[in-house]
Amino acid sequence: MKARILDSVDVLKIVDLLSEQGYEVVAPFHREGQDSYFDVVTPANRHAVRIHLPNPLYPPKRFIFPHIERLMTFRQVNGDLQIQATHEEPRRAIFGIRSCDLAGIGHLDRYFLGREFRDTYYEKRRRHALLINVVCSDPQRDVGDDCFCVCADTGPAAREHFDLQLMDLGRGEFMAVAGSPAGQALFQSPIFRKAKPAHVERRRAILAEVRKRFKTHTSWFSAAVRYLSQDKVTERTWEEIGNRCMECGGCTYVCPACTCFTVSDRPIGDGQTERVRIWDSCALAGFTRMAGGFNPRRAVHDRRNRRFFRKLAHYFVQRELSMACVGCGRCVTVCHGNIGMPSVVEMLRRTTAGVQEHEPAIR
Amino acid sequence: MNPPSAENIYLPRVAVLDRVEDNIPDVKTFYWRFENPADQRAFRGFHPGQFVQVTIAGVGEFPASLPPSPTEDQIFFTIRQVGGCTAALHRLRPGDKIAVRGPYGNGFPMEQYQGKNLVFVAGGIGLIPLRSCIVYAIAHRSNYGRIAIFHGAKTPKELMYRDVLAACQQTPGVECHLTVDRGDNGWEGNVGVVSSLFKKPGVAMPVENTVAFVCGPPVMFRFVIRDLLAMGLTERDIISTLERYMKCGVGKCGHCCIGVAYICVDGPVFTYEQIKRLGEDI
Ligand SMILES: Cc1cc2nc3c(=O)[nH]c(=O)nc-3n(C[C@H](O)[C@H](O)[C@H](O)COP(=O)(O)OP(=O)(O)OC[C@H]3O[C@@H](n4cnc5c(N)ncnc54)[C@H](O)[C@@H]3O)c2cc1C
Ligand code: SF4
Ligand code: FES
Repeated sequence: MKARILDSVDVLKIVDLLSEQGYEVVAPFHREGQDSYFDVVTPANRHAVRIHLPNPLYPPKRFIFPHIERLMTFRQVNGDLQIQATHEEPRRAIFGIRSCDLAGIGHLDRYFLGREFRDTYYEKRRRHALLINVVCSDPQRDVGDDCFCVCADTGPAAREHFDLQLMDLGRGEFMAVAGSPAGQALFQSPIFRKAKPAHVERRRAILAEVRKRFKTHTSWFSAAVRYLSQDKVTERTWEEIGNRCMECGGCTYVCPACTCFTVSDRPIGDGQTERVRIWDSCALAGFTRMAGGFNPRRAVHDRRNRRFFRKLAHYFVQRELSMACVGCGRCVTVCHGNIGMPSVVEMLRRTTAGVQEHEPAIR
Repeated sequence: MNPPSAENIYLPRVAVLDRVEDNIPDVKTFYWRFENPADQRAFRGFHPGQFVQVTIAGVGEFPASLPPSPTEDQIFFTIRQVGGCTAALHRLRPGDKIAVRGPYGNGFPMEQYQGKNLVFVAGGIGLIPLRSCIVYAIAHRSNYGRIAIFHGAKTPKELMYRDVLAACQQTPGVECHLTVDRGDNGWEGNVGVVSSLFKKPGVAMPVENTVAFVCGPPVMFRFVIRDLLAMGLTERDIISTLERYMKCGVGKCGHCCIGVAYICVDGPVFTYEQIKRLGEDI
């Protein structure tokens, strides 16, 4: 992968370059405290785009897999039925996407574009999306209290899925790494100059330091993946987790790796209806309800079980080449019951370790 | 990533209702064809046990089994009225337009079962997905051994597809037995649960080299499975369909996911051995 160096003062010129190339650019902005958000860059707010800030709670996933997305419209005229697919193929760049969220998009790619069917709508939005990754290099401003990408092996520096990766090397310099031909094409701009071995060395040193500065959370996934895949998690453990779930669905809505949606038809006037898909949550009671009121996942702990099983079971990890958790820590932030991913992994690990089973027999 | 495809997996094709037939209370059969003959031709290759996603414009979309066998000329589905979409469908008349996409799902492995005896056990509208296999097996009669069909319903009026079953009974090597929970004045047949038929005098239920197709309400399923296992069938010889809440039918929305399976693409047909491994209720 080709690397270049640019001055810190020129970093936002990449946003301008992309705008000039016809991209709608979305980028992160910071209000105060933990309040940060992604928004479309305009001439009016361009100066306020931030590189170092808390990762926004509402992940940029929505620019490729929107919260609500129209799929088609139906019109009935004189006994005829007309169906119109409604595609959007925006030429959009996501500037400042963090490594965890990038891994989330990698997961979505394998899920929506893999197996028997390719998701038409996802594909169209994804095809023209340009992803400009920013490495979390500042433990104070970039790494949140709940982050654990190091445990999920997705960060702080992504190794794939980006078109261009930017990293603050300090001393007024950034390193840019091209991950695709589209990213490399940007190097034609005069803001980029050649990198020296010392730059690579500085990058390595900074990353080594950041990795050590992660905060409170660790998530020892591998034990959890194993116990859960071998069906060793006790019913009691699941119940305990379920008892803490307030069924708000928050964890699924902030998750960069969640994919579930529901489909709904609604009138849009003029005798027409539209079909939309809307993010859905396996934490909500209606998720699996069927005709006759029979609900195969009635108990709350069954639903909790489902979320973690789907994210961590070895079968799915193998099929999708990754867990459906990228270690962003958002579910930790939003969960009132303290059953974000790391604490669930810890509960599974602790209560299932079955101490005696592993102790040597002395007889 | 797979190569880009031109096909929109969510886009249904317009179809016309040709004929609507009353079956049992609240259940009707809708005969339809795609408006575009090319869609109709492309659809012909479906397998018994597959399903479609049916759109009622302005109301919504729902999954429906394909009760016809690919060996038949007409395409139709049989639908019980339970809520918004199904009630709206029940209000439609011949000539009205719907939209359909599919076929989806794995279907029953009818070819793998060549040379075997086939037992069909259907409770109520559980006969809808099995109708396809029954008609298919009879159309390929020489490929299969003996065929025994058991169908039960609450009352005689609720027995499904009486004409098809009557025709089966005329076929050599095929036997068909009916039962109801409650008889009425004209009913001279068996009264009792469907598994009570298995050991009746005059019933020759094959057990060796046999596959049992079982579809029906959960209570029936549990009792029938218990009896079939006791008679010597293995868990792998029992096959059924799982109906789960489905929104997309193509493995994306996540609603039908149980255990490690997405019912819409990995199923809806599973052996009892697989169902047990999924760790879910039927
Ligand atoms: C693979 C498969 C094949 C099926 N085949 C047939 C068939 O051949 N004939 C038939 O009559 N029915 C069949 N069903 C059931 C049928 O899809 C539901 O009865 C139908 O979706 C209800 O939609 P509705 O809008 O009328 O009901 P709603 O107004 O949406 O709801 C009424 C009730 O039905 C439940 N329900 C809603 N949507 C679904 C859904 N997608 N799947 C299951 N339950 C749902 C609701 O939770 C509620 O309890 C099948 C279901 C599946 C999954
Ligand atoms: S499960 Fe939690 S920590 Fe993992 S990706 Fe989703 S929101 Fe982030
Ligand atoms: S019905 Fe959507 S994933 Fe199976």
